[in-house]
Formats: sequence, structure tokens, C-alpha cells
Amino acid sequence: MSEGDRLWEVFARRKRADHFEHVGCVEAPNPDLGRVYAWQTYDEAKWFEMIVAPRDAFHCVNRPEQPFTLHPSAEALT
Amino acid sequence: MTEEVKYTKAADLPEELREHLGALILVLADNKRLLGMRYSDWILGAPALEAGIACSAMAQDEWGHGRIFYAMLRDFGQDPNRLEHERESSEYRSIELLDGPAEDWTELLALNLLLDSALSVQFEAMADSRFEPVHYKVSKLLDEERFHFEHGRGWVARLGSTEAGREAMQKAFAPAWEACVRWFGPDDDGVARRLRDAGITDKDAAGLRARWLERVAPVVESVGLGLAEASNGTWRSSVEPAWDGWDSDVRRGREGGPDAETLVRVRGDKNRPLLMD
Repeated sequence: MSEGDRLWEVFARRKRADHFEHVGCVEAPNPDLGRVYAWQTYDEAKWFEMIVAPRDAFHCVNRPEQPFTLHPSAEALT
Repeated sequence: MTEEVKYTKAADLPEELREHLGALILVLADNKRLLGMRYSDWILGAPALEAGIACSAMAQDEWGHGRIFYAMLRDFGQDPNRLEHERESSEYRSIELLDGPAEDWTELLALNLLLDSALSVQFEAMADSRFEPVHYKVSKLLDEERFHFEHGRGWVARLGSTEAGREAMQKAFAPAWEACVRWFGPDDDGVARRLRDAGITDKDAAGLRARWLERVAPVVESVGLGLAEASNGTWRSSVEPAWDGWDSDVRRGREGGPDAETLVRVRGDKNRPLLMD
């Protein structure tokens, strides 16, 4: 990740009646680029709504580690 | 002029208006096609993976827009296949900035923020056009372009946070700025006024340039590039373009056109034997 970049978590839903699903994350230095990158990277569906938030805005409720931490076996693949 | 008049096809337009609008549509289609190619040049090699994906998406958007407007010219008695594949360089109506490749990321960023926004401002002026075939296409196009603008704004903010980034942008943005200021034509441009008076667009050249300045000047001046000044809430370009040789229908300030390599690629010369229609 370049200096100044943050991770942005991306959520989207196909229809207004749907709940949001977590679709992935992007690296970007500011909200403008976070939003653009999210929209253009995760374009697999015709989303009704997509939202982004910085990963560090999330707080884990039931576990000690940081949110979005993968199992070590999966982390090794990223 | 009456509010009721709508034009559903080119043949409904008075002859002079038809010529001016046909010329404007070709200007826009050529700029879209060439700009798409410039975005595509950076799909591999952009400073971040996400920026490369963004260039890919923006290239697809521009090519889609270009194809729609080349196709529209059939109604104006032109052959879209010839327009797309068989013209000489001197017949292209794309801005000089697109004649050759963007040499670095800041030059591409100048095209992204300044030129792409100039094209969007020109399309926005036709959102309620009395020429309905254009009016119906503009809304979706502008939805896509909103992300192009935000991409440009986001990158200006990022590069503007360092002195080296700001200096690189100053160098790349100065020529692009002058070319885009000029691209709308002189304030009293007769073609732009006739299109506005007929309800094809909603602004003359001065009005279009003012709308563009309102959009891009706050972005470039948020990082102090020294290209525009605000006075009583109105943005003014710090640079006055030269009008020598300006042609309002071609929207270029000088002779010339895309360079040889650009022409081969934009026409699809290498695939010529495969063209099916």
C-alpha cells in the first residue's frame, strides 16, 4: 500500500429491499478515490446502492483482533 | 423561438443548424474516442492497481460514448464506418491535447480532470436539448462522467499534498488548461450562439466556459496551481488563450491532427481485414 493510502471497505446491495453485502475493499488516499475505485472495481452487478467506509472506522464486537482479519492460511494468499 | 419546437431527427433541423450540430457531434465523438484511447494507455502502468482499473473503466465509458455519437451521425448523412475507420488525420476534430500520448501520469490527470470535464460541460448543455436524439443519451453519459470527475479531483488532492506532486501538476496542467479554456471558443462565437438560440444547447461559449471554470477551478486552486482566480464568487482563468487560426466548427486552434501512431490505433488499421460491417 502506498504512503498515505487507507483501506476502504466496500458494501453494496442490488435492490432497495436487499441488505448490504460486503463485496471487497480498495486502497485509496481519500474518499473521492475510495468511492471511484470501489464503483469501478466491483462492477459485477448493477448495484442499487454502494457505500464505502475506511476499514479503521470498524470496531470488532466479539473478537480481540482487528476487524476483517483473515485466517492466517487465507492471509498468506493475499 | 417557441417552447414547443422539438427536433426528432436531423432532417427536421434548418440546414445551417444541421451543419453546426453535425459538426459539434463529430467534435464530441472524436474527442471521446481519442480520450478513451489515452485512458487505455494507462490501464497497465498507472501508479496504483485501482487507478489502472479506473482507467480501464473510463476508457470503456469514453469508447461507448464515442460509438453512440458516431452512430448518431448516420442521421446527418454521414457514414459512421468511414468516420471510425477511414479518415485521414486532418479530418479529425479532436483537441490538440489528444494528438499524441500523455507522457506521464500528471498529463493523463490533466486530460481526466480538465478535458473530460470540458466535454461533460458541453454534453450537459444538451441535457434538455430540443434535438431529442442527443437529449435522450446525455443523462446516462453524465452519470458515468461523475466518477471520471471524482477520479480527477481525488488525484489532484493526492498529488497536491506534496511539493513535488504540485510542481509536476503545474507543468502538465498549464498547456492542458490553456487548450481547454480555448476549446469552448471565443466569448462571441457565432456557432455556439446559434446553437444556444435554437435551444440545441443552453449556453453560448462564454457560458460554457464559465460553467467549466466553476467545476474545475476550485479543484486546481485547492492545491494552488495558479491557473484561475476567484473574484466575487466568479472564477476567471488566469490565462487568456490565443485565437489565431481558430475554427469554431472543428474546435481546434491549428492545422494538424492525431499523430501517425495514434491514427493507426484509433482507426483500427491493424484489424482492417477483420472489419465485418
